[in-house]
Amino acid sequence: MQAHISLGALALLPASVFAVDYLSAEQAAQAMFGEADRVEQRELVLDASQLQALAAAGVAGRSARWPVRLAWQGKRLLGLVVVDAVVGKFELISYAVGIAADGSIKQVEILSYRESHGHEIRLPAWRRQFVGKTVAAPLRVGEDIANISGATLSCNHVTDGVRRIVAVVDLARRSGQLPA
Amino acid sequence: MTALTTAQPGPAAPAGRLAAIAAAPGAAACASTDTSTDTSTDTSASPAAGQTGWTRRARPLLGTLVDIGLAPGSPAPAAALAAAFDAIAALQAQLSRFDPASAISRFQHLPAGASLALPASAQRVLHAAQALQQASGGLFDISLGSGPAGWRCQAGRLHKLQPGVQLDLGGIAKGFAVDAAVRALQRAGCPAGWVNAGGDVRVYGDVALPLHLRDAQHGGVRPLGQLRGGALASSHFAPGSRSQLHQLAPALPAGSARASCQSSHPDANPQPGWQVSVAAPRALWADALTKIVAASRDVQHPLLARLGASAWLHGG
Repeated sequence: MQAHISLGALALLPASVFAVDYLSAEQAAQAMFGEADRVEQRELVLDASQLQALAAAGVAGRSARWPVRLAWQGKRLLGLVVVDAVVGKFELISYAVGIAADGSIKQVEILSYRESHGHEIRLPAWRRQFVGKTVAAPLRVGEDIANISGATLSCNHVTDGVRRIVAVVDLARRSGQLPA
Repeated sequence: MTALTTAQPGPAAPAGRLAAIAAAPGAAACASTDTSTDTSTDTSASPAAGQTGWTRRARPLLGTLVDIGLAPGSPAPAAALAAAFDAIAALQAQLSRFDPASAISRFQHLPAGASLALPASAQRVLHAAQALQQASGGLFDISLGSGPAGWRCQAGRLHKLQPGVQLDLGGIAKGFAVDAAVRALQRAGCPAGWVNAGGDVRVYGDVALPLHLRDAQHGGVRPLGQLRGGALASSHFAPGSRSQLHQLAPALPAGSARASCQSSHPDANPQPGWQVSVAAPRALWADALTKIVAASRDVQHPLLARLGASAWLHGG
């Protein structure tokens, strides 16, 4: 096998935005719970004491309202999918966590990834474009298959986010908002 | 030194010397860090251009995002992706020092003189680490200086020869996992694809993968080039970055410096913010060689040619 790499400018061009859309929330739910015949959208609402409980457990709730997708097969709850986004130093990552009916993590899928220049990510306008963004667009040609090398991206933000979601769902189950 | 060619058996590793990497005429062996020069990136037509229907998924694994792409025409892409991600997750469970049940974690608690049985894949990566340590004169050291001679992988077992030896596969495991995932895709019949574990990327089949380089200091990405039929790894060295030199290479006699990831000596970097990129036929070699090049500061290190690799040192 011959390995070829053609290296053009090394770190000489201006930084540009890099973005990949992997899955929509619907596609992720379908991939995680393919046997579901119905997906119900619901919102979990945490009260002040529940938010305090989260903070005490070391996973600050960040939000009192959590939209979730419940995957049903007939009257049986297969599990649920929670979509969230985390902002890192230079990147914004949205992801979906599939949680089985017993509360265990079934799967984590990255939905979209966007990396930009450091100062851009702090601009509200830059962030706003991701609010409510649908990521159903099919993979585009060329740019969309590009990959990033260089300093390794940490996924600590995603890991922390997954932990928070598991805790939120656990609280909702115990408070009767979800079938236990 | 034959261990290096036998440590990673596989269809793409001919004995003796791996296939050479053909760098484009414009590629510099040691790139300038002069940011005032504007050089156009190679944007020549590639098989990727004009194609649609790539399947692309990413999951958080190996402490980073693992991104996998499958070419159009892959049979059962969902099963292929699951097999590739499962292969990586299985290696993570065996090799991560953050997983208390992993072989590496259990090794840390062994008394000197004891040993533990290793799964086959863990044997392969530890044999590769052993071979790289020998072939680099100790520059590559998964013990991070805690005892380069204090461990041995032999007859399917990992032996602890000295007390206090700790192992960290951070400088090799990501590349190894990428290679394993690529094998899973190939076994699943996917004609072309890539696996990118946070910058340790390998591509196979008839595709030229556009690569961007992350600017770890200022954010953003910049076009780097196109990768075909091989792997590229980059390590960024700066105070506070994930990759750290275990010891300051230039200040030490040749052969005594060691490279590693996540050392506790972040101030040991020769200068803030520089990167090493290595292209090689296998992701394992590319990953490990970035550490050897960083420690030796030698983009012409003899191991590179032996493994069919090329290296670039650049700022950022």
